[in-house]
Amino acid sequence: MRETPLSNCEKEFILNNIKEHRRLDGRNAYDYRDIRISFGVSLGCCHVEMGKTKVLAQVSCEVGQPKQTRPHDGVLFVNVELSPMASPAFEQGRPSEESVELSRLMERCLKESRCVDLESLCIVSGEKVWHVRVDIHVLNHEGNILDCSSIAAISALAHFKRPDVSVQGEEITIHPLEEKDPVGLSIHHMPLLVSFSFFLQGKYLLVDPSEKEEKVMDGKMVIGMNKHREICTLQVTGQNLLLKDQVLRCSSIAVTKVTKTTELIVQALENDKQARLRGEKHGFAEQISSEKVTSNHWRETQVKVKEEVMSASGGSGAESEDVDSDMEAGSGDSQTDAARLKDVEPNVDIVARGVGAIGEGGASRWLDLPKTTQTSKNKGKLKRSHPEETEVKQEYDEDSEEETQTVLNGVQ
Amino acid sequence: MAEEIRLAQPKEYYRAFLEKEVRPDDRELGEFRPTVLNIGCVSTAEGSSLVKLGNTTVMCGIKAEVAEPRYGRPTEGYIVPNVELSPLSSPNFRPGPPPEQAQVLSQNMVDFLDTSQCIKLDSLCISSGKLVWVLYIDLVCLDYDGNVMDACTLALMAALKNTSLPVVTVDEDTGDVKTHLSTHSSLSVDSCPVSTTFIVFDNTVLLVDPTREEELLATGAVTVVTEGDNLCSVYKPGGSPLTDEQVEMCVERAFVRGKEATALITDTLCSIDR
Amino acid sequence: MASFIVLTEEQQRLQREAPPEAVLRCLTSELGCLTRQDGSASLSQGDTTVTAVAYGPAEVRMARERIDRATVEVVYKPKVGLPRPVDRKKENIIRNTLESAIMGSAHPRSAISVIIQETEDLGSNLACCINAACLALLDAAVGLNFMVAAVASAVMEDGKIVTDPEKKVEEKAVAVMTFVFESVDHKLVSVLTYGKFTQEQYKVCRDLCRQTAQSVFAFYRESLEKKLLKTV
Repeated sequence: MRETPLSNCEKEFILNNIKEHRRLDGRNAYDYRDIRISFGVSLGCCHVEMGKTKVLAQVSCEVGQPKQTRPHDGVLFVNVELSPMASPAFEQGRPSEESVELSRLMERCLKESRCVDLESLCIVSGEKVWHVRVDIHVLNHEGNILDCSSIAAISALAHFKRPDVSVQGEEITIHPLEEKDPVGLSIHHMPLLVSFSFFLQGKYLLVDPSEKEEKVMDGKMVIGMNKHREICTLQVTGQNLLLKDQVLRCSSIAVTKVTKTTELIVQALENDKQARLRGEKHGFAEQISSEKVTSNHWRETQVKVKEEVMSASGGSGAESEDVDSDMEAGSGDSQTDAARLKDVEPNVDIVARGVGAIGEGGASRWLDLPKTTQTSKNKGKLKRSHPEETEVKQEYDEDSEEETQTVLNGVQ
Repeated sequence: MAEEIRLAQPKEYYRAFLEKEVRPDDRELGEFRPTVLNIGCVSTAEGSSLVKLGNTTVMCGIKAEVAEPRYGRPTEGYIVPNVELSPLSSPNFRPGPPPEQAQVLSQNMVDFLDTSQCIKLDSLCISSGKLVWVLYIDLVCLDYDGNVMDACTLALMAALKNTSLPVVTVDEDTGDVKTHLSTHSSLSVDSCPVSTTFIVFDNTVLLVDPTREEELLATGAVTVVTEGDNLCSVYKPGGSPLTDEQVEMCVERAFVRGKEATALITDTLCSIDR
Repeated sequence: MASFIVLTEEQQRLQREAPPEAVLRCLTSELGCLTRQDGSASLSQGDTTVTAVAYGPAEVRMARERIDRATVEVVYKPKVGLPRPVDRKKENIIRNTLESAIMGSAHPRSAISVIIQETEDLGSNLACCINAACLALLDAAVGLNFMVAAVASAVMEDGKIVTDPEKKVEEKAVAVMTFVFESVDHKLVSVLTYGKFTQEQYKVCRDLCRQTAQSVFAFYRESLEKKLLKTV
């Protein structure tokens, strides 16, 4: 599906607003939208909302072989999915330029910053290591997917726990979650991406651009940073040149943003941990407020099973009463026929050594089957109306000893 | 004239026949096409069969290899079925990656083997934690004239029953693997599940064993897998809604077919042993 | 009417052994939870959560265009990794089910697409996917012939039947069956089963699931009413 492009007057409107230091949603230039972080029931499942942009991240792991160049390290794999789920502009299947850029940036942020201790993921050096996979699904694209994804990915990694392993000699045992408490990944630091968008040749700068603002912007700068003010990655794209001051200003904004967001993540992780310890309900279903008109919640429902249903199903055979007479006759017959047919031995023609055949009629151009000499053809008669019934029955009796009957009442 | 109507208004053409409770190829509504089964037709494979259901032809070959077992399941072998709908079988299929239909069929074969438990994965173990058998089951459709599902399952079962594996021993001390090519042991197949496919025409009429033409006109399909007196699967992926009676009728019919097909496989196998 | 009802031992025993009522885990829905789509819904059945979105009727790719009805496209996205053949089969079943529910002849030469994202799979995943997809279609106001409701049931080793099973129950079960019913005549639209079972068990499961499906329809109705009447 093609996306509706932004019209010129819309573009102008947004730009004029930016010139007057206003944004469509009433934010100031350096404001983030509200961030909500929630965790699922399964470990390593994180859902992040940034305004209306929504991203789901899931971390999973499996045992595999290490890379030949790094035999003592586990493997971290990052995958970002942009599907038509998030926006009609995205296409299913082939990855767009945008999604490649996104994946690459996420990889740089998570892998090359060495935030996850990969050495601790080694089970047997050179043979078996943990492969950790981060899948990031963008659910709703309302701008700034990148920041949202990076929050989701790092929160999910911090939330995730892998099963415990014990090695005795050559024997490796992976303990299921019920048997032994799982182990969390060791996260050295939490790198987060902060995007800045530039308008009118870098004159104006906005943090956390919305989807419409992203369409108007001239260029973008992404800074990956952790709360220790260490820059992990920095990328400038678009058709604008930046002054040194701009870059420095952005990096100092990033410091405050990253500090705040990291606190938020830590808080959310702690809340989830406490809820789990207290044995309270957690997970996504609990996060949906039933106070909204768009949501609905039902407690566990007991469905009253109607008396006749149970008795009918308890009895033998399907003697349903509320069928029209046509069907009743049909199903009744097919029951008896089927019962009779079960006793009939099927007649298999052995045409040659290793070649057997059953049935006749219908087209087959493959080989000439020797015609059976029997006069009565092996055909299921289909009965429907009552007058025919006696006649049909007779026919069955005739050939019931000879060949297989194939009966199906399909007409209603 | 009739051929023109068949081409221009296939639905009308079929309706005229079905009113008289007969199908254009002279079959009753509940009648299967002639089924021909040839077992052991590929001498280079460990097990093979060829099934002809009317014009629909499916060939099945089973290749066995040894491999290391999956982690955490030291005694289980693997079975990897694959259905190929090649361009040779129908002009509708193009060369290249498998069409969705073939992928779904392959998955159906996996589920068919899985739910019927006809081969215990443990029986494919050679040496626990070290060596197991992997069975690659290739099902190739040579001629596509509808109801490939039933043809595939029949070919699969016949080929499995025909499969014999060379005896492989592992020396406990040295870890040497020896293959005794002269002695073979046949695969233990515990049961014989049979699938029966029906289509729904005009939301009401049920037809068993559809041809390709009938499949194109169908408004729904039902596949029932039976094994002895038990059901292994009732599979109806959408299509026109059916009443309970209609589905039960399908099940009854499937039991009859199950018996026929089982007899076909056993009798044909006997003819080889003779 | 007798004022005192004395239960004989036989009756008491029967009452104890009476099959338990069909249970549906708690349901939580949110319609229009996403903003960029024509319709969206997130549905939780117990802890199993699925988000589904619907677009349509919209333009269709030439190769898939059908001159007499709308093309229904379904994409199922598993949470971990790329779609496997199992997911393809799931996608196929959901597509066929929705195709019969959607009034396709009203929108020839157009596409109605549904994308389903697995958020949390803790049992009865296929049923939850179909129900969420139906809610998303209702939210997108796509014309339907009938609504569909899916309910799963599991047959345990001792013959007990559990409706809307959790993942742990599903793993222990001898057979798991998922039934999809329509809302007009409550006929069977789809069925998918795993494991061996008898004809009797099939019938009991089917009837239990059909009864349970009525609650799902009631839930659909209430969710939509709440949204459309704007009452909390």
